Amino acid sequence: MTELRELARKLLSDGQVKVVIGYEEGPRGVRPLFATDGAAADRLIFDERCVQNLATYLDRRRVHVARLGKPAIVAKPCDVKAVAGLLRETQLKREDVVIIGVRCGGVLADPKSLQRLGPDTMADRCRTCETREPGLVDYLVGPMPEAVRGQSGRDAKIAELDAMTPEERWSFWQKELSRCTRCQACRQVCPLCYCDRCMADKTEPQWIESSPHPRGILAWHLIRAIHLAGRCVDCGECERACPVSIPLGLITRKVAQVVAQRFQHHPTDDPSVPSPIGTWRSDDPQEFIL
Amino acid sequence: MDAMTISRADLLGLAEDLLGSGIRVVGPAKASRGMVEYRAVAAASELALEGPELPARSLKEFYLPPTEPLFAWKSLAGGKVELMEARMAPPPTVVIGARPCDAAGVEVLDKVMGWDYRDEPYFARREATTIVSIACAGIDSSCFCTSVGLGPDATRGSDLLLVPIEGGYRAEVLTEKGARLVSGHQGRFRPDSGAAQAQEFKQKARAKVAAHAPPDARPLRSWLETHFDHPLWAEVALRCHGCGACAAVCPTCHCFDIVDEPEGVTTGVRRRNWDTCQTARFTVHASGHNPRSDQNSRIRQRVMHKFMIYPKRFNEILCTGCGRCVRACPGGMDLLEVISRVSALAGGAG
Repeated sequence: MTELRELARKLLSDGQVKVVIGYEEGPRGVRPLFATDGAAADRLIFDERCVQNLATYLDRRRVHVARLGKPAIVAKPCDVKAVAGLLRETQLKREDVVIIGVRCGGVLADPKSLQRLGPDTMADRCRTCETREPGLVDYLVGPMPEAVRGQSGRDAKIAELDAMTPEERWSFWQKELSRCTRCQACRQVCPLCYCDRCMADKTEPQWIESSPHPRGILAWHLIRAIHLAGRCVDCGECERACPVSIPLGLITRKVAQVVAQRFQHHPTDDPSVPSPIGTWRSDDPQEFIL
Repeated sequence: MDAMTISRADLLGLAEDLLGSGIRVVGPAKASRGMVEYRAVAAASELALEGPELPARSLKEFYLPPTEPLFAWKSLAGGKVELMEARMAPPPTVVIGARPCDAAGVEVLDKVMGWDYRDEPYFARREATTIVSIACAGIDSSCFCTSVGLGPDATRGSDLLLVPIEGGYRAEVLTEKGARLVSGHQGRFRPDSGAAQAQEFKQKARAKVAAHAPPDARPLRSWLETHFDHPLWAEVALRCHGCGACAAVCPTCHCFDIVDEPEGVTTGVRRRNWDTCQTARFTVHASGHNPRSDQNSRIRQRVMHKFMIYPKRFNEILCTGCGRCVRACPGGMDLLEVISRVSALAGGAG
C-alpha cells in the first residue's frame, strides 16, 4: 500500500500525471478514487475487494474525467488487457496514460462479504485466470500473490447449457433475460463499449428496437455478444453492474471459448496482437460466420 | 385506526384465498441466483416475506412497466391510418409484503402521474391494486428512509401495514381498500393484541436506520436552488458511469421515452419505455447540441430533481430512501454521502 501511495504521490508532484485513478475505502465498500493531490493519494488502496475495472474511465467520451488531465491508472492484469484493447483499437495513445500495474491473485466474488480470498470466495473469472502480473505497465507494484485456483462454476454451467437441447437453452435464457429493462448498465461499465453512438441508440434508421420486450432484449444481448467477440477481456464488469443479476458472464465466456477455438485468440495485454474481429485471414474458418 | 392481528400461516392462507378467487397476488419471491424480486406468484409458498434482502427492483414496474404499448397503427389505402388503442384492463391485484419505502414510492409518483394530465394506464393499475406492506426491520447501511420523512414503518401508499409481532403481524388498517380486504377475509384476522410489541418493533427499526442515515434531506431544497454551479457536482460525479442502473431500480424515477416500432410494413406499435436522465442521449437535441454535455450535469440533475424540483412543484421529495441506487451502482456513487455533504455545505441545515 505504501509503495502504491508513494508512487502516486510522486507521479502527481512531478507533474507526470494530473490524476491517479485507483481505489479507496468508500462509505459502503471499496470504490474508484480520482486522486489529484498527495492527500488524496494517501487514500489509495489495493486488495482483493478492488473488483472494478478502472480502464472504463479512460474512455475519452467521459469528458468529466478527461477534463482532469493526464491520468495514471491502477490496473489489475485483466484491466491492463482492457487498456491494451483501447490501444489496439486506437481509442487511446500509449503516451496519454501511465499504467500502474498491480500484481493480482484474484478478487472476491462478493467484495462486501468481508470473506478471505480462497478458491470458493474468489470471483469465478479469476478461478481460470493465469495472469498474476500484467504486462504493458509503466510501474508494477504489490507482492506476488499465491496462485489460488478454483473450480469454475461458470464453465460448468456453460457445459450444462451446451448439453441442453436448443429448446431448453432457449427457455433458460428467456427466463434470465426477462428481467432486463435495457438500462444499459452492462454497456456503460464495459471498457470496450466505447462507441460514440451505440447502434442500440440509433433511431434513424432504428437497427434494433429500444423496448425491453423479449424481442428488444434478445436483440440487444445478441448484438453485445457479437460486438465483444474476441474483444472482451473477462473483467466481469457487465455482470457486476447488472442491477437484476443476469448472468452475462456466461455469454461473454462462451463467446470467448468459441473465439479461442476458431481463431486461437485469447485476450492479451499486447496491443500489437490483432483481434479476430478487426482482421481477416484467408485461412479463417468459414463454416460459421462470427 | 383499526387494528387486528394475523398469524403468519393466516397471511399465507389469505394469499391462497385471494389466488383461489382469481386475484393476482404480487409479492417478494426468490428468483434465480438468490435474488428476490416482486412478482406475481402462483402459490403463497413462493412468497419470501420479510427479506432479509430488498427485492432487486421496486414496485414501480407494476404501475409503470419497463415497456408498454400505448396503441397500434395500421396504414390503410388512400393515406389513411387506423389507430387501435391498447386495451387497458389491469387485473385486480393485491400486493402482499411490499416494503414501506416501495409503497410510499407509488404514492409519491401519483403526484406527477396525475398532474397536468391524468395518466390512464398508471391510474387504472393503481385503482386495481391493494397494497399490504410489512414494516421493515431496516436492511443495511444503504437504507436512509428516515432522512426523507419516511421510516421503516411508514404508512404512505399502503392500504394495510403489517408490523411483525410474535407468531405473525399486527395489521393496521389504513384505507378503505385495506378495510375491504380485511372485512372480505374476516376469518383470517384476530382481534388486536399486539400494540405494544408492534410499537417496540417500529422503534427498534427506526433506531437502526437512523443510526447511520444522513440528516433530514427536506431542508436541502433551498441550498440546491441557489447552487447550480457549485464545484461539488464535478467532484461527486467522477465515478459515475452514466449507466442508469440507479434509475432502473429506483421506486420513484419515472421518466419514459416514447417510441414507434414498426411490426411489419404497414403496421406498428407506439410504446413507452423507461428512460433515465443519466444517459447522454436523454437530452441530446436534434441539432446534436446537448445541454447536459457531461456526467456532472446529469448527476446534478438527478439530485436536483429529487430534492429540489419535485419538492418545489409537489411539496414532496422524489426519493423514499430505499438505498437501491447505492447498492446497485457499479461505480460506488452514494446518495447518502451526497445528502450529508450538501447538508454540511448548507450549514448543517437539517
